[in-house]
Amino acid sequence: MAEGRTTGAFVLVTLAFGSITLVATADIRLPGNHRGYAPEQPIAFSHRQHAGELKIDCQYCHYAASKSPNAGIPPTGLCMNCHAHVSAGFDAVLEEREAAEAEGRDPRRIVSPEIAKLYAALGLDDDLDPVPGAEPRPVEWIRVHDLADFVYFDHRPHMATGVACQTCHGPVQGMERIRQETALSMGWCLDCHRKSPAFRPGEPLPDLTAPLRYRHHVSTDCATCHF
Amino acid sequence: MDELPIPADAISAELEDLVFAGLPATRRSFLRAAGFGVGVAAVAGCSRAPVQKAIPHLTPPESIVPGRAYAIASTCAGCSAACGVLATCRDGRPVKLEGNPEHPLSRGGLCAVGQAELLSLYDSQRLDGARDREGGIGWDQADQLVVAELARIRADGGRVRLLTGTVHSPSTRAVIGRLLASLPDAAHVQYDAASTSAILDAHARSHGQRILPRYFFEQAQVVASFDADFLGTWISPVEHAAGWRQARDPEAEPPRMSTVVQFEGRLSLTGTRADRRVRIAPWETEPALARLVERLGVLAGGRAPSASAGRAETATLEEVDAVAGLLWQHRGAALVVAGAADGVAQDLVNRANVLLGAYGRTLDVERPSLQKRGDERALEQLRQELAAGAVDLLLVAGCNPVYELPDSEDLLAGLSATAMVIACSPSLDETAAAAHLVLPEPHSLESWGDAEPVAGFCTLQQPTAPPLRSARTLRATLARWMGDARGDRELLQAHWESELFARQDAIGSPAAFFAAALSRGFAELAPQPVPGAEAAAPAPAGSAFVAPADLVLVLHPQIAIPDGRHAHNPWLQELPDPVSKVAWDNCASVSPATARELGLRAGDVVRLNAGERAIELPAWVQTGQHDRVVAVALGYGRAGTDRFADVGPEWLQARATVESGGTIGENAAPLVARTAAGRVFAGAAVTVEKTGRRVELACSQDHHTLEVPAHLAPKGGEVRDPARELAFAAWQADPEHALHRGHHAPGEGELWAADHENDGPRWGLAVDLAACTGCSACVIACQAENNVPVVGKDEVRRHREMHWLRIDRYFEGAEGEERVHHQPMMCQHCDHAPCETVCPVLATVHSASGLNQQVYNRCVGTRYCANNCPYKVRRFNWFDYAHDDALENLALNPDVTVRSRGVMEKCSMCVQRIQEARSEARRRGEKVEDGAIRTACQQSCPTQAIVFGDHADPAGRMARLAASHRAYGVLDELGVAPSVRYLAGMNNDPLAPARAGHAETGGGHG
Repeated sequence: MAEGRTTGAFVLVTLAFGSITLVATADIRLPGNHRGYAPEQPIAFSHRQHAGELKIDCQYCHYAASKSPNAGIPPTGLCMNCHAHVSAGFDAVLEEREAAEAEGRDPRRIVSPEIAKLYAALGLDDDLDPVPGAEPRPVEWIRVHDLADFVYFDHRPHMATGVACQTCHGPVQGMERIRQETALSMGWCLDCHRKSPAFRPGEPLPDLTAPLRYRHHVSTDCATCHF
Repeated sequence: MDELPIPADAISAELEDLVFAGLPATRRSFLRAAGFGVGVAAVAGCSRAPVQKAIPHLTPPESIVPGRAYAIASTCAGCSAACGVLATCRDGRPVKLEGNPEHPLSRGGLCAVGQAELLSLYDSQRLDGARDREGGIGWDQADQLVVAELARIRADGGRVRLLTGTVHSPSTRAVIGRLLASLPDAAHVQYDAASTSAILDAHARSHGQRILPRYFFEQAQVVASFDADFLGTWISPVEHAAGWRQARDPEAEPPRMSTVVQFEGRLSLTGTRADRRVRIAPWETEPALARLVERLGVLAGGRAPSASAGRAETATLEEVDAVAGLLWQHRGAALVVAGAADGVAQDLVNRANVLLGAYGRTLDVERPSLQKRGDERALEQLRQELAAGAVDLLLVAGCNPVYELPDSEDLLAGLSATAMVIACSPSLDETAAAAHLVLPEPHSLESWGDAEPVAGFCTLQQPTAPPLRSARTLRATLARWMGDARGDRELLQAHWESELFARQDAIGSPAAFFAAALSRGFAELAPQPVPGAEAAAPAPAGSAFVAPADLVLVLHPQIAIPDGRHAHNPWLQELPDPVSKVAWDNCASVSPATARELGLRAGDVVRLNAGERAIELPAWVQTGQHDRVVAVALGYGRAGTDRFADVGPEWLQARATVESGGTIGENAAPLVARTAAGRVFAGAAVTVEKTGRRVELACSQDHHTLEVPAHLAPKGGEVRDPARELAFAAWQADPEHALHRGHHAPGEGELWAADHENDGPRWGLAVDLAACTGCSACVIACQAENNVPVVGKDEVRRHREMHWLRIDRYFEGAEGEERVHHQPMMCQHCDHAPCETVCPVLATVHSASGLNQQVYNRCVGTRYCANNCPYKVRRFNWFDYAHDDALENLALNPDVTVRSRGVMEKCSMCVQRIQEARSEARRRGEKVEDGAIRTACQQSCPTQAIVFGDHADPAGRMARLAASHRAYGVLDELGVAPSVRYLAGMNNDPLAPARAGHAETGGGHG
């Protein structure tokens, strides 16, 4: 029996060390936690380029974020506000212009393969003329930030209190392909809610130096998100 | 199963076995290990299945914000009352119907039927495209057939008849007028399933115009109603209930409280709310009214009373005398109404109203109601023409005569003798099945329309969703046959901009006029002069049934299923009748004394023989009913209702809601008596025969009772009185103490010490029982808002109905003299909630704003909470209820979780609406205004009996009501501190001997 106990202890210790090693080296997540999810999208849209380099405001495209629970995926037609004019990257256009100059001809219109997909979705050819028989169809993006169906998240209060988009969505302005940066799990939400003091419109600010008590931090009631 | 169950305390030993014993493992240990493996695999995985797509719009629709609901003003087409609705839409489809608060008729209320219209939009059995007897044909082909036939009739002569329900659409009437004028011998016959033809005929005699007056219950201090269920089903119940409520507000300064005296044979919803109720047999109506007119004549200084008619009981006549005195005392603010289809009775009603100076005050003939225009004489004439084979083309629209009218065999024979019968019906109903051509009409929520329910008041109906079926309105169909290929909207707009625009001068341009009407949903115009009665006014027909009989039949519309049109709506089928509490059936209802005499129990199948007709129905024992009356609801027994055979969950002991090939309930229309003056619904002699069979009715009367079993009752707590009522006089004399005499004061004794802080809002409801009519609009509103499933008849019988909000019905007093109370009962959101302490997984917990939260994703289904709930408002998902009809699923509210099997659910006080209002206020940087949040039940209530608000805001409307001297909490004595406060009902019966305080509630629970 004593020998059995020793073997048992040995097995348990091995298991414990094994687990610790596993946790330290691998990205261990609970089922349903899709942190790091970055599927290939139908168009290789780069947030880094649009939000980072060009500094387009997030709400230019995700315009519903401040007035609706959903931020919304921009309507395909919205892309054309710019891409009716911008059809390829600056480098490609410059290269063509130089080539045209060297060959002594007018520069051709350059359409990058990704933007061509956008035009195709809208039923347009590279010169933005409607393709006969082509029906405009919205681009079917792959959803990245997706909460469970029993969670009702609302962008409005978060926007109204000045929570930055990056707080939950991560450094989107640096992402070549959009990626779920945070866990978006209930514990992750609650972490922030427990730490954030509640602002009630029309009421004086709470004492921010005092330790937050239940009624002074942002609501952690179940029915805030589950109904 | 060859292994032994392992006791809980042996788990560690088992684990030891697993670790040390190694293989071969038992089945359980194998599963455990395998489970661990699966867990590890899931942890390591980083892809997601199934992949969700996010598909945006191509170009965003104007003014639609993704993820937000928007409202479209329209008109309800559930009945002919034409209440205003605001359709709440998401992503291009309606998900909820609400009353339009600006609408002058319905004033924000919407009845159960109106709410349920949403589900009928998504009815998968609606017809798709034109069809003939063989099957689908193209619209063009159908049009060609009819146009050719019409051309032949124009050339060779021939009779064309249009048979419809009341058409109150001005644009459709205009098109019908054009068609009739283009044909040599054409006529339009209208009838109403629940006929008011006798009232119109009586006004043709007394006022020279065949009109239905508009009734103003808000102006009436005293109402004497003879079998007119004006709060339930008569003409325009939402409008009447709103008016009735306006005349009864004990919280107003000074308090207003009208008196309603109801004379009736069955127990109607109005009867349950009447301040004084007199049971009379149908044959007594005419003599009672005669006596009333005589007494009023005397009081007006006229001739002395002649010898009164002898058929009425002396007691009835004494009551009539007393009521006459009361009416006379309030002349100018008094009203007499009658539901009888009896010319002499309606003539007497008109004379009484003239004597009382009611015309121009409590009822209006200057701007009459156009809600019912049916003409029974014209219908009878059409039947004769059809029987003689004298009609060449019959078009039936907006009605189902083969089902609704008696002697349907004769009618069917008449139809087969007609060269062409065209039915414009949304589904293949009884009449459409007998037609040569069926041209389906669209649902009101997917098509254009209009209505003029009251002269000078027009409402617009606009589509809230793209057409789900290939269908065409009667208006467009008729126009097309006359070579006018314009669409519905163009036809409608043209009519509004030409004809209706000219009837007003507030807006200068036709286009602006139409745009304004679209946005508000209605327009107010000058009334068109009502044409004088075309023919000589018909002679009054006396009641066909004047002789007292042993038992007489009273056929009546039901609250949930007012006519057969709604029988295919599962929400309405599962809505318990507010009086009998029976769902999924109609019954032969008899009084307890008669039941004893006949040896009947509820559920005994009886055969009702009326003349040569007979139907078999389960019996129901209804206290409060006249002993000589057998009451049967119309509107049941529709063909095709066996679609609900498997509406409930599938399991071993499931019993079908209806046999395959059978119907829900039985059609009582064959028992309607026919006279030369039209259909008569009450008074025919009937015999009741027992068949010896029994069925188990789905009656929710004793479900979820608040009564306490005698052996468990604490001393002094044997009798609970959840629904309280005060006499108006006693309350006025001493408002402070009238309620609490002999009762626990509110808040006396708290179950536990206050253990949670609450410095924000504390949400609550105030429910005014003086205003509640029991109409059950709130029940369906809640069902629609909160995705409450339909469970089917068998599950209802097992007490498993899922309604979050039920209406408890109580009888108080001796048999036959009962007062009836209706009490909406939903989660009381107790401050000391007994459900919360017993939940082992904290799936039901209290929120900082006083809500008792139910967290579905945490619930493991122990049902301890439901056991411990004193109000019995928790509902358990015994099954995954059917959500496999993809079309029907479009009616689901996307803001509320669809619950799965094994979890508890209950009223959340529409927390999704609270959250929406708070988020919106937060966005604008404002506080949530009092009244900004309205729960679904509150929104739909025609009498504004339910008010949501914040207990912490003493200036708010709800908190002021909760502070009324009438306010109490149900089972306050338990000390659970419910957040829902009830305001005691109010009974204003000046003819009753003064009662001390309020009476104790006893009797059966509902």
